Amino acid sequence: MFNTRLVMTAFVVMFMASAWVSTPASAELGKGSAITDNLHIGVIDSIGDRQVSITTKFEKSAKQYTLHLLPECYVMTANRGEFKKFKELKKGDLIAAYGWYKDKKWNARRIDILNPNDYLVKRLDSDAKAGVYNRHER
Amino acid sequence: MRNLSSQRYLNVFVALAVSALFSNAPAANAKKTELTQFDKRDWHVTSQQDSDAPLRDYAILYDAGGVDGALGVIGIPSMRTYRHIKCGVDLHNFPFSGSNAGNNNGTPDGKYLYVSDKGADTIVEVNLQTGWAERIFALPKPFGVHHSAALAPNGKYLFATGELTGKMLKLRLKDGATTVLDIPPAPSAPDYPDTSKDGRYVFAGNYYHSAVMVFSQDPFKLIKEIPVGKNPHGTNVSPDGRLVAVCDKLSATLSIIDIDKLKVHKVIPVGAGPLHNQIDTLGKYDYISCFVSDSTSKVDLTRMQLVDEFPVHYRVGHNSIAPDNAYYVSQNKFSTGLFTPTGIVFAVNFELQDIDETSATYGKTVKIIPVDGEPHEGRQIFASYIQRWNTGKGEELFSKGYELGDVKVSFAEGHGTGLHERPQLEPTHVTDSSRGWVPRDDGKPGITKEGDVHVVRIKAFSYGYVPRFVHVPKGAKVRIILTNIDKAAGLTKNPDVTMGLAVYGYYGPRTMLIGVRGMSAVGEFVADKAGEYEFYCQHFCGPLHLEMRGTLFVDPPGQMASLAVGDYDDVSKQETILVEQERKWIVGTNKLMNKLNEGKEPTI
Repeated sequence: MFNTRLVMTAFVVMFMASAWVSTPASAELGKGSAITDNLHIGVIDSIGDRQVSITTKFEKSAKQYTLHLLPECYVMTANRGEFKKFKELKKGDLIAAYGWYKDKKWNARRIDILNPNDYLVKRLDSDAKAGVYNRHER
Repeated sequence: MRNLSSQRYLNVFVALAVSALFSNAPAANAKKTELTQFDKRDWHVTSQQDSDAPLRDYAILYDAGGVDGALGVIGIPSMRTYRHIKCGVDLHNFPFSGSNAGNNNGTPDGKYLYVSDKGADTIVEVNLQTGWAERIFALPKPFGVHHSAALAPNGKYLFATGELTGKMLKLRLKDGATTVLDIPPAPSAPDYPDTSKDGRYVFAGNYYHSAVMVFSQDPFKLIKEIPVGKNPHGTNVSPDGRLVAVCDKLSATLSIIDIDKLKVHKVIPVGAGPLHNQIDTLGKYDYISCFVSDSTSKVDLTRMQLVDEFPVHYRVGHNSIAPDNAYYVSQNKFSTGLFTPTGIVFAVNFELQDIDETSATYGKTVKIIPVDGEPHEGRQIFASYIQRWNTGKGEELFSKGYELGDVKVSFAEGHGTGLHERPQLEPTHVTDSSRGWVPRDDGKPGITKEGDVHVVRIKAFSYGYVPRFVHVPKGAKVRIILTNIDKAAGLTKNPDVTMGLAVYGYYGPRTMLIGVRGMSAVGEFVADKAGEYEFYCQHFCGPLHLEMRGTLFVDPPGQMASLAVGDYDDVSKQETILVEQERKWIVGTNKLMNKLNEGKEPTI
């Protein structure tokens, strides 16, 4: 009348499901960027109405994210602090975007246009070529 | 003929003069230049210039100046001191207004910073555009603020640590309403906080617990404590929001906490006495100030290992990093033998280090400057956030706001847009007391009654006081004689170690004693407000400087003062911080305690 094995299996499945739901980013840690990260570094693929789509750089496997600019999100150059208009962003720009994932959207609070000749960008690039990928070692 | 010739010369002269006049006109216009390729190679020039001023700095370092009660404003990379902004008694740290998105420098909007005053037990709002203190948050008493470094992602809330009473606080910046949490078990000292960038957590080291405490941002509550190395101090969240880097001061390690798992992921040896850390804007490297090993340690957060170490000249405390990651400032605590003596207390110093790996001077100190006060937290922003005020458009900047690219920043939200709502405050640094020095006093430590004066003899050393607890009755005339008996300043071995004594809060502006070696500091005041008040060393003296504490009990008649028994409602009003006409700019008192509607105060 009472199938113990079935009940136990159901509990195990429920437990695993709850763990998966509560920490969606956990499985991604050590395997590159996740949508829940607060910083994305990538190249702009396309530009929409206060939103940009990027392909991440310096990772083992590039990922695509769409970033929605919050009303107070500004754009600036990362190495000189010069403010830019949103329309000045160009396809192919390498950017760092700071923000958060909320309501199934990644909300950008600041976008920095990176200089490809910046030492830190060069370091991330040379590390990735040497097999030390950004956000893979944790 | 001669006359003709003279006339000809005159005509030539006039023609030349007129020609010179006209030829000057385009030259004057040319001063409003577009960016040239030469400008783009020059760190001075960030945008179109309307003058040919050659000495622009591209970034500004603000430092909470500690014992001088003022913020320092220093240009990067020139390291010129531009000004000091008066804020109060003993300043420790601050976030910029805007958002906490990014690294420790955040995502500023250029409007304010909020600096904690450990001496006065307040948080002071400084308007970056006017360069003056504008509001004072009077924290619910007793609190004992140390750090106010942590801003919520939406910029509407501030989290601060009550190191001196074992409490934590969430403060709504709009009106100063608060929620205060007690953090047991005692002794408890929530120290340096930072917030996760996704609005989930607040992290704060607790040196008495050797743990990092984790709070949820909304509702504000303690979730857990994560054991780390001994006496953790600097606690910083990485810009990608994945980890917290914690300086284990007495373990010579950096504990890396995985934010998703809320447990220590890795412990990295970094050098002796790690105090603070600064992560670059891309989350690649973390720079750690190591007090005992006199070095800047560089940890690669991808490799999770120490990759470099730069020597610094003198014992380092805090640190800061340029917004473009090109420079790092080691904010050093001693300057033994380095500078010309200018007074009883030696200037400390800031050391600019080049951290651009492609630079010829990578890892080297490129400039070192004396600094007054005893600076704590420093944070840097691009100079482009600060508007130009010499163009006759000052009022417009407040009433209409200013632009950061195509984003309009407005002063409308907050306490008003009119110029009359932009006060120029100069909070009290010292009041209602007398201070000075006498020949070294070798009297026995303790309390004696001389006439109607309670004479309190306190000996200070690395790292403590004798006596540790001091009781005086409410209304007593108190004379504190502080004698520095330190021989070698513990690990520091610096001959010029100054010991201090500041009683936090109401008695902060009444003490601030400076105990230099060879003589004793004397301070006199009336203990007219009952309560339990911690005193602490306000002059950095070594790795356990922060733990150097004692307690002044001002006992009301027939009772013994405690954190529950005292005139805390009275002292919350902060009435002696500003003159009467300006007290409308003090917000928040005990009456506002727990006014936040937790669970409905979203932080993103």
